[in-house]
Amino acid sequence: MTDTFSGNLENTVAQTGGEGPGPGPASVAACWSCKGPVSAGALFCPVCEAVQPPGQMDHFQRLGLQAAFDIDPDSLDRLYFDLQRRLHPDRFATRTPREKAFSQSQATSLNEAYEALKDPLRRADYLVHLRGSGVLREGCNQINDPVILMEAMELREALAEAQTREEVDRIATETEADIADCLIGLSAAFRGNDLDGACGLTTRLKYLTKLADEARVHRKALAEN
Amino acid sequence: MAYSDKVIDHYENPRNVGAFDKSDEGVGTGLVGAPACGDVMKLQIKVNPDGIIEDAKFKTFGCGSAIASSSLVTEWVKGKSVDEAVEIKNTDIAKELALPPVKIHCSVLAEDAIKAAIEDYKAKSDQIKKVEAAE
Repeated sequence: MTDTFSGNLENTVAQTGGEGPGPGPASVAACWSCKGPVSAGALFCPVCEAVQPPGQMDHFQRLGLQAAFDIDPDSLDRLYFDLQRRLHPDRFATRTPREKAFSQSQATSLNEAYEALKDPLRRADYLVHLRGSGVLREGCNQINDPVILMEAMELREALAEAQTREEVDRIATETEADIADCLIGLSAAFRGNDLDGACGLTTRLKYLTKLADEARVHRKALAEN
Repeated sequence: MAYSDKVIDHYENPRNVGAFDKSDEGVGTGLVGAPACGDVMKLQIKVNPDGIIEDAKFKTFGCGSAIASSSLVTEWVKGKSVDEAVEIKNTDIAKELALPPVKIHCSVLAEDAIKAAIEDYKAKSDQIKKVEAAE
């Protein structure tokens, strides 16, 4: 039962044609415990069933997904919870210290991958970084786009000047609509492999997300007064 | 994280908040942002015919350090020539405000903003000179 999922994982990764960093599907290493052959990305040794160290792979590969912006949130959750259940350090409480340590680092890597992919903004940021060359390490930050900056400044000014809850609500509703537009645009940009477009939209989405946060804070402050 | 007294002072009593008409001759506008934290900063200078910055205004939506950095820069540039103002370094801002390492990027933003404002002013005055020469 233990290796059903790693089998799926390898198939999925092979279908992506080796996109992104990480070992190819053909690479095989020796199990740290029994020295038997373990294919890259496998969670457990097929021979002795010992948990393996997390290994180098991108967040999509770690969850057994094709690297794409459009992912089904329910599938992501299912994949994550299944892996988490199998790798959770509680399951390794009676095992050797080394197995405990590997399950811990597997679980940590898995959580990082899930957190990075669950939120559309973080997923977009990560995918631009994964596919793009010459993009900043921390993701996509287009700092000099005057149109994006102008919009961000005007919206923040309008929010700062809003005196009533109705005004704040109107700005918040428009912001939610703009965010939805950005997500539709991001989906199309990634599907068309338009990285510049995706980067611009990711940057815009960051300012809009911040604006939505600030609108909530502003609304709360107005409600309390 | 504790803010220094100088940051708190600029945050609570920001100097030179506001805006000039950006189409005015002699006004240079710098608009910069840090998408990672969602901060946006607008810094404007009003330059007299002798090339001296007579006045400066800013509007910043961001954390206390970003507000203090831009507020401080508007104070510093007044009375300076544009060539002197362009020399302002983020390290000077960070030192004056005693910014902790995690807030250094706020001083970088303020340096970028004043440089962008000066660039905008220069591009505008070059354009005016060209138009005058053509007439």
